[in-house]
Amino acid sequence: MRPDAKKKLAAAAPKKGPNPAIIGAVIAAVMVLAVVVAIVVGNSGKSSGTGAAAQPKGVVAGDAGGILANPVPAKSNAPTVDLYEDFQCPVCGQFEKAMGPSLASLAAAGEVKLVVHTLTFLDDNLKNDSSKRSANAVACAADAGKFLDYHAAVFAAQPAKEGDGYTDAQLTEFATTAGITEPALTTWQQCTSSGQHAQYVLDTQTAAEKAGVNSTPTLKLNGKDITKTLSAPEALVAQIKAATK
Amino acid sequence: MDLQGGGRRADLVGLLARLIVGAVLIWAGALKVTSPAVSARAVNAFQILPYDVARYVGYALPLVELLIGLLLVIGLFTRVAAVVGGLLMVAFIIGIASAWARGLSIDCGCFGGGGTIAASQTQYPLDILRDLAVAACAAWLVVRPRTAYSLDRRLFG
Repeated sequence: MRPDAKKKLAAAAPKKGPNPAIIGAVIAAVMVLAVVVAIVVGNSGKSSGTGAAAQPKGVVAGDAGGILANPVPAKSNAPTVDLYEDFQCPVCGQFEKAMGPSLASLAAAGEVKLVVHTLTFLDDNLKNDSSKRSANAVACAADAGKFLDYHAAVFAAQPAKEGDGYTDAQLTEFATTAGITEPALTTWQQCTSSGQHAQYVLDTQTAAEKAGVNSTPTLKLNGKDITKTLSAPEALVAQIKAATK
Repeated sequence: MDLQGGGRRADLVGLLARLIVGAVLIWAGALKVTSPAVSARAVNAFQILPYDVARYVGYALPLVELLIGLLLVIGLFTRVAAVVGGLLMVAFIIGIASAWARGLSIDCGCFGGGGTIAASQTQYPLDILRDLAVAACAAWLVVRPRTAYSLDRRLFG
């Protein structure tokens, strides 16, 4: 071989260095591992089992349904209103101010089956736990037969700034405002501080997402989403009346 | 056309493309990676994937975006990373266009957030344009992965 050709051959040979295939495989493995870890960690906090969840009084339609807010049984021809709200959602606060009294009086008259689903997704957005704590607290109030009163008390005290949330002291104040008295108050306190309905609250959020509810407030009349049609309480009352058979 | 040619100037265009795609992916991933539950709901709000699949996609997506973005910024496995990044953009464009066509009013959740918003607040055309621009940069890199200042060049020549 001529010396010149030898030099050329050496120049054409692959350079010594890390093997691209091995580096690629390692990086691919790291990526797959990261994704798997993310999924496992993401799911570890959530129990998928709903069997063990303590259900508050008045839960309708399965384990993770909303709470029937009627203080008295509704008339048999009354339409069903499913209301999805997060206690930390400012628009829900406005909705309650505008529509709450009308809905409550229709429920009190038995002219509507009012089913309230307390959602908690804003905890993840706002990075606090006020939606879950207040949803658990109102479920405990449902056990005491004071769901709507407690529900109204929370919205009446909604913080001006979204994300400020509710303190435990406030949650206890709401119980008094709602008219929960001893001995029910002690039971309510235990239920609230132990997070007795915490799993139910998580299940409610999951069930709502599965039902395609991804914002609050959402109001369904006999299963149909009519949130966008509600400009004034009169419109809501009229639609409920029209849906009464 | 000699796609691998073009010399120094084309290498610099490639560098710019790499940094654009990489930065957008890192930005999008970083804003979502700390709140995976929000990301999962944003994916679910598109109402395309079944609920459980949407959850997994929502959890994994920010990490994939971060990793691909990082690879592009340092210029390692540029072609493979650009293929993945480009396919992500195509998937996003399809998802956003589909939501738009079906009359959903959602935030794409591209950079955190997500879920239903007022119809007047939707910005589907803007989202699609942005993703198209990023996809175009990714396409350049798939065709011509040689770029200036890349780790690929350092390691593999």
